[in-house]
Amino acid sequence: MFKSLLLFFLILAGCTLQAQPVLEIQLDGSEQGKPLPVFLKEVEQKVGVRFYFRTEWLEQFFFDDSYRGKTLKQALEKVFQGTDLSYFFMSPLQVVIIKDFSQSALRANVLETAIRQRKKIIPYTFGDLKKSVNDRLVVISGRVVDAKTKEPLINAAIAVSDNSKVFITDELGNYRVSLVPGAHVLTFSFADHEDRVIDLIAYADGKINLEMDDIPILLEEVVVQDREAREITTNRIGQVQMSMKELKRAPAMLGEVDLVKQVQTLAGVTTVGEAASGFNVRGGSVDQNLILYDGMPVFNSAHVFGFFSAFNSEAIRDVSFYRGGIPAEFGGRASSVLDIKSKDGNYKRWNGSGGIGMLTSNLMLNGPLVKDKTSLAASFRSTYSNWLIHSVKTNYADLSKSNVSFYDGTLKLAHLYSQKTKLSLTGYASKDAFRLLGDSTYQWTNLQLSAQVDHQLSEKLAAEFAAGVSSYGYNVVNADFATASELSYRITTTLAKAGFHFQEGNKKINFGWQLLHYQFDPGILKPNSPISNAKSISMDKQYSIESAFHASKDWLVNKNILVEGGLRLPIFVSFGPGSVNIYKEGGSIETTNQINTLTYKTAEPIKSYVGLEPRLSARWLLSATQSFKLGYNRMYQFLHLVTNTTAVTPVDIWQPSGYYFKPQIADQVSVGYFADYKEKKYGLSTEVFYKTIQNVLDFKDGAQLILNTHLETDLRQGASRSYGIETSLTKNTGRITGSLNYTYSRSFRTIPGINSGNQYASNFDQPHVVNLAWKYSLGRRIFFTGNFTYHSGRPVTIPLSVFTYENNSAAYFSERNQYRIADYHRLDVALVIEGNSKRKKKGESTWVFSVYNVYGRKNPYAIFFKNSALGIPQPYQLSIIGTLLPSVSYNFKFL
Amino acid sequence: MKKHRAFFVSLTWLIVFLLTDACVEKIDFDLPGARFQYVVDGLISDQSTPYQVKISKSLSLEADSIVNSPVSNALITLFEDQKPVEVFFEESAGLYTTKGTTRGKVGRSYFITIQTEDGKKFQSEPETIKEVGEVKAINYEFEARKTKIVADEIDSNVFNIFIDASATDSPENYVRWRYTGNYKMDTQPELHLTWTPPYTPYKNPPPCSGYKIGPGPPGSGGLLVKIGECTCCTCWIYQYETMPTVSNGQLIVNGQFRNIKVGEVPINSTSFYEKFMITVEQMSLSKDAYDFFKLIRAQKESASSLFQPQTGEIKGNLRPINNEDLMIGLFWATSIKRKHTFINRSDVPYNLPATDIPADACTDFRNSTNVKPAFWE
Repeated sequence: MFKSLLLFFLILAGCTLQAQPVLEIQLDGSEQGKPLPVFLKEVEQKVGVRFYFRTEWLEQFFFDDSYRGKTLKQALEKVFQGTDLSYFFMSPLQVVIIKDFSQSALRANVLETAIRQRKKIIPYTFGDLKKSVNDRLVVISGRVVDAKTKEPLINAAIAVSDNSKVFITDELGNYRVSLVPGAHVLTFSFADHEDRVIDLIAYADGKINLEMDDIPILLEEVVVQDREAREITTNRIGQVQMSMKELKRAPAMLGEVDLVKQVQTLAGVTTVGEAASGFNVRGGSVDQNLILYDGMPVFNSAHVFGFFSAFNSEAIRDVSFYRGGIPAEFGGRASSVLDIKSKDGNYKRWNGSGGIGMLTSNLMLNGPLVKDKTSLAASFRSTYSNWLIHSVKTNYADLSKSNVSFYDGTLKLAHLYSQKTKLSLTGYASKDAFRLLGDSTYQWTNLQLSAQVDHQLSEKLAAEFAAGVSSYGYNVVNADFATASELSYRITTTLAKAGFHFQEGNKKINFGWQLLHYQFDPGILKPNSPISNAKSISMDKQYSIESAFHASKDWLVNKNILVEGGLRLPIFVSFGPGSVNIYKEGGSIETTNQINTLTYKTAEPIKSYVGLEPRLSARWLLSATQSFKLGYNRMYQFLHLVTNTTAVTPVDIWQPSGYYFKPQIADQVSVGYFADYKEKKYGLSTEVFYKTIQNVLDFKDGAQLILNTHLETDLRQGASRSYGIETSLTKNTGRITGSLNYTYSRSFRTIPGINSGNQYASNFDQPHVVNLAWKYSLGRRIFFTGNFTYHSGRPVTIPLSVFTYENNSAAYFSERNQYRIADYHRLDVALVIEGNSKRKKKGESTWVFSVYNVYGRKNPYAIFFKNSALGIPQPYQLSIIGTLLPSVSYNFKFL
Repeated sequence: MKKHRAFFVSLTWLIVFLLTDACVEKIDFDLPGARFQYVVDGLISDQSTPYQVKISKSLSLEADSIVNSPVSNALITLFEDQKPVEVFFEESAGLYTTKGTTRGKVGRSYFITIQTEDGKKFQSEPETIKEVGEVKAINYEFEARKTKIVADEIDSNVFNIFIDASATDSPENYVRWRYTGNYKMDTQPELHLTWTPPYTPYKNPPPCSGYKIGPGPPGSGGLLVKIGECTCCTCWIYQYETMPTVSNGQLIVNGQFRNIKVGEVPINSTSFYEKFMITVEQMSLSKDAYDFFKLIRAQKESASSLFQPQTGEIKGNLRPINNEDLMIGLFWATSIKRKHTFINRSDVPYNLPATDIPADACTDFRNSTNVKPAFWE
């Protein structure tokens, strides 16, 4: 048996070696116009070789003039490309042409599955076989938009049935798929939208513009599956596309759907405490996250400390989160980007949606002002949360006289001038006011107005132009009659930007420019009653501009390796009018060392910084189900959130880089492995990162930050480094789906003048983070969802003992961040009941019954120290939610 | 509909009930075994001798009183310009004093070495006595205040004390102002009664009152009999600053510190029994001493605030020589200039009620002394 096999292989090897001469004959033009079977018979007679085939398989093929001069081998390979035909040598002079049924079977299988799942299949045919030019790939391109809003769907996935390739739509919803000529099935998928299946026969280039419908009632596989497909094939490491519908199904505190809370459950993202404002990405501080709402930077993303995020989920179209391999178009923050895009109104008819929760209610209305041309979307959310805060009783303070109120609203007008040009105007406003303790009322507001024009300049070049202004500010009104005063703070940002997207074949180039002008009003304190003893203090305004050019290019090195390289060139200038304190040369920066003050005139530059930010993302497809990714990015951050409290407060200040404060420079390398198993039923991803940040800012012990005209004396800059490994396992299909992720990461700082210059753990050093989320389908419309989260307690500096000096006492505190508060963990569950799934219906409704903090864990919101009667500081923790919290919310949609 | 409303009302109340669970609670950290540190508190100045150094152990956070745990039998040597000049003697447990042979001089540097009973050695960083400017004026300003008590508000008016002072020519003006208040108190200790429930109070004059109980009519509890002079009828109560005040360059205008708040004088009929004396000492500091007092101030200012700034490690200027133990605190060298002023009862912008004369020994009051302060006129 072994000998026979050996003989067979020897013959086969010999055949291969001798095969070349037979098919090396050159085509001389005599073959033109003849059907392939006829030509092959002629060759048989001429060379003495024998071809075996079924005539009906080959009679459709002809050689044209383009084949002249090619060898028969080249000609056959070319003509069979994209078909299920191939050949082999049975003997040196016997060539067998066979049909490989596996590709056809694969295609048929995809179509059958689509039919079974009642997906809509649309047939498309471009060109015909007889006229096909078989020497190149055909290109199918087009645009994918939401059927109702006509908004482009960014990062929609296009899966090709027979080669497991997945393509992604770009920033304008455009895509370009290169295929071998022949029959294929293209499956378009996007979060919260019904799949579109294209039964394609393409022998020539073609254009398919698609409109994708919202899923009326959700098929649970869709969202996760398409995200997983992207994870394998997108070139960016550390990018997550978030689904708003999934978000609404997750258990939420008091039924409040919250975008930032969802971000906090992603691998590599943590928060320093329960209901803390913002989030921390890979050991970075809260200010290192660039949060964009329709392209405008948002400085405070929280309502009521960090109880709720400032964004109404009803008004959001899609959200992209980048924590590694950040594209060159984004910059200005050191750790991550959260890019939030608001919804356009419906261009066809008016509809609305809303939600009624235990703390807030929201309503969104949208529809056409001019049918198919102009749409309007308006949303509003407000709270009635006073009852909650009044019901919190503490030994620390009486909250019964506290007040909490907030609202946010968006208005978006979109106008389609043509298929190629669209204008969008977005307005956003939010306001918070709370009085928690004592006589101080805290208020903060976000106001934003922006306009964007998207225009397709040519087939290959698209552009977007945007301009906007935003204003974030806070006031603290102190009503105490003796010290009555009002402290106000404001940042006004003006933005202009232009972005261009060029695509030709596999060549993809993005480039653009953006300019931001900041005006900081860093603090004005005014007495607001005639008998007030408060002194009037007014800090100098600060002005700066941040400009950046960026360009990036995709290279398809080969069919498996895709590289995106980019460069960003930020320039930051801080300018007058203003003054700068000058200190004795060689001495420490202390108020007592001040020798002079420099004064700058209007528009006179005080300090400028230029950076160069290389960006790189690479993807290596190891197979159809596995990929390896690499990302490197350098980011400059010119604005710094300055805080020295254990909890982020609404009255923290943003300090621009300038004479004393250098920009933070972050360098991050991340590598990752992504794999799917069992036809994407399971997904596994692992990312490893190492990040360093130069010039990270931290406060000196005992720093006074608000209304400090010598802020440079209380802050120091140094280095930070963080590293970690993030692993995520997902189950994407079946009755039970979910994800489990575990992160191990560390984050340290070394800053001269702080902690005796020794390295210390940053406030966000939480080594172990585990998140588990699941969804169990009890029926087609009933889900039991839940999540469990655990992370190591954050580091803190605590008093260790008390000592006396002179006639007084003080506490001896540990070195910076030497201790940790208790670990954080929490379990939430929810029962989601969704309404009917009929396509022709007047409305939809969803009930969410949830229990937050099921086992009543008292997780800390903040740690603070309260002096005992003897003046000894005692550590206390404030747990905002100290018990299990059941809630019910009702979301509705009328069509 | 009614049923639904009832459901929601019950649910709301359920949540309110659950939320009322205490959400602020004391937490414990797993602290290392050795929870105390050696604490040093001492200075040398260009003022009259002797100089004192206290050595104690820090107290646990759970301590139920701020009572020093003194460290006895330590050997403390004072160095001037690197040369040993004097050895401190232990005047009382943990309190070490010079004999008065050395007097601090501006421009000279000083440090101490400490050897504890178990042979552990420590040394302070050398500190040079720097010149200091002087307090030019002490000003006071009335401020009306109210304090909330359970269901009411009471007056807690104060005089805010501000100073103007001169800086030196030195570019580094690390200065501390130490505020001390004094007021006189008269008491009638001979009228002291002892109340030991459930018994009827009985006359019990302390010996320092100069009276004793002699025989008297039945039911009178005896008659007071003078047997000597009262040594606890007149005292002066010291009011110490709650936190140190240190210089801040932004307040220097033309070589002058202007309008620096150094303390508060509580206005009541006790503190203004006669008049209130204010003493402000302007003291030069080294950078180490400046940081030490500045951190203490920051810690005191931030206490008990929910959004309190983090305070850090306050170490001081002592370092171990032959061990790893931590010794915190300060031995500092300073030049001192003092100024006094008085606020009279008539300066209070309203009439104070008559002062109650306590029937106690005045020396029993906190921070009191029967020795008349040197500058009390």
